[in-house]
Amino acid sequence: MSLLDRYEEVVGHFEVQRLRQLAERLQGKRIVHVNSTRVGGGVAEILRWMVPLMEELGLRPRWEVITGPPDFYRVTKAFHNGLQGFAVTLKTRDFDLHNEINRENAKKLNLEADIVIIHDPQPIYLPSFTPAGKVGSWIWRCHVDASRPNFAVWRYLEKAIPSFQATIFSMPAFTRSLPCPMFMIPPAIDPLSDKNCQIPEPERIETLIKLGVDPERPLLLQVSRFDRFKDPLGVIAAYHLVKRYHPELQLVLAGGTADDDPEGTEVYNEVMEEAGEDRDLKILLLPPDAHRTINILQRSAIIVLQKSLREGFGLTVTEALWKGRPVIGGACGGITLQVHDYQTGFLVYSPEGAAYRIRYLLRYADKRQRMGRTGHDFVREHFLLIRNLRDYLTMLLCLQHPEGDVVVV
Amino acid sequence: MNAPGPFALYDCSLARYASGRYCSNLRELLEAVRVVPDMVLEHHMMRCALDDHFELYEFPNDLARWCWDALGDHVLAESLGLLDPYRLASSADLRTALVKVIEERLWGMERVPWCRPGLELHLIGSRLMAYDTGERLPTLAALVEGMPRIPLRSFYYHVHEARRRRGNLFDDFSAWLEERDADPAMVVKLRAIDFYFLNLNQLRLEFIQIFRQYLPDAEVKKVAP
Repeated sequence: MSLLDRYEEVVGHFEVQRLRQLAERLQGKRIVHVNSTRVGGGVAEILRWMVPLMEELGLRPRWEVITGPPDFYRVTKAFHNGLQGFAVTLKTRDFDLHNEINRENAKKLNLEADIVIIHDPQPIYLPSFTPAGKVGSWIWRCHVDASRPNFAVWRYLEKAIPSFQATIFSMPAFTRSLPCPMFMIPPAIDPLSDKNCQIPEPERIETLIKLGVDPERPLLLQVSRFDRFKDPLGVIAAYHLVKRYHPELQLVLAGGTADDDPEGTEVYNEVMEEAGEDRDLKILLLPPDAHRTINILQRSAIIVLQKSLREGFGLTVTEALWKGRPVIGGACGGITLQVHDYQTGFLVYSPEGAAYRIRYLLRYADKRQRMGRTGHDFVREHFLLIRNLRDYLTMLLCLQHPEGDVVVV
Repeated sequence: MNAPGPFALYDCSLARYASGRYCSNLRELLEAVRVVPDMVLEHHMMRCALDDHFELYEFPNDLARWCWDALGDHVLAESLGLLDPYRLASSADLRTALVKVIEERLWGMERVPWCRPGLELHLIGSRLMAYDTGERLPTLAALVEGMPRIPLRSFYYHVHEARRRRGNLFDDFSAWLEERDADPAMVVKLRAIDFYFLNLNQLRLEFIQIFRQYLPDAEVKKVAP
């Protein structure tokens, strides 16, 4: 069974057939993806399914990885944070190092292709050092919110932009004004991955018991890093407000801290302190590969929270909706694209708002179930990888046919 | 004269791109509506239908929705929700109509409504890539039988986009049926569907219902609502 055949079981035969038909218009196109790691991180996760699926659709994709000394990754990590508006300190020699590593990699990597898609800022200067004619079109895919970047970082990165024929962002709010088309391609989840696949019931129960969660009682869940912008303390406050009406309620805050986030440990300690001795409130520090555990928690929750104060796209919301759980989310970032009041959950603006909506959803089981079904359908239509692939193919066709508002290809 | 050929089923896909412009208040919306490219207005007033398959939205266009949800201006949202771009002859007419509605609303206001940070309207444009699926529906019965599995995007192409292509007159399905000498009453009924008011799923159900009414013996499979 081919990879695409497996997705047919999720999105249906006709949807996959239409994707194949769209891809027929791009047969044999040589596409090179370039990023900075083959393992770990969201981009590598995307490329791991995108490259084989593009191949199965008749394109000729390849995946190249830019490499450099440890110092290079320190600099690119600072770029990554700076692009998202965090304060970073970089010296002239850091920018020089980035430039030099891009120059070296442009010589080493096999970039000959019709289209090269550069993921994030690490390889952004490759076009500057690649001989003219080797690459048909360059596209920069920015996976983060670049709407309010650090000034020095942006001043350096934006000089690379004129080499690109187009850019791709996850949502319009993440863009800046750029001199080339800025395509919108929201991220997507893989319904067959460990994070999202069906879980056998015995495994679910066993895992919950291991984690100290009672499978028989209602569970509230937030999955996120221990980060102030995810407002874990606000979630605990909402839980306390509801607990007096629903003493059977449990709350799990599950997440990790990133190595590059010194504040994470501080927030985690604050959360632990706030949680106190409540046996129904579990704080789980999970390793980055605990995909199945997160899947199980999401499937076991009666309501999923994502009470962020600032958010990127919010793929944890997508994952929860896919599992048929209504989501109560902070009204920010990509959460507003996914959570629609009374349809897939509720947008809230305070711990009190979250508490009120939790009480509402606990009270009305029928509405909760209907929202869960709508959320699942909504994600199937908009945020699964088949749609993501369709968006990529459409963008490539758009570049191939630059004129016309409606194009028959 | 040649007999009319089979119905050629097309699918379509949108390439969306950011205009780099966003609105935080009603005055900014008015300014944007005056100057953004036609395809931005068309996206937010027409092509946004491709984003709503689940009756998530109260109104048929992004502008009405934003005024209702983000600005809290329900009066303007109601006016914009009623504005049917398919009844206007051109993009210029659409722009004029939008400017008029928003300007009139702003005129009497003491305070310009603003949205909360994070709920800004980011204006985007789109290009529509359509393609022949190769699927041919040779007879009316085949069309009727195929209805439940025709993708909603195809409905957009053969109904909404067809209206624009054909000067706002009619859709591809009824045009093909008319060529095949189908019951004129059915053709009239199909053309009278208030398609802008419906989401694509509801539109498909409406087509199926009309077929059922006029072709009681045809095999029309049930479509989940």
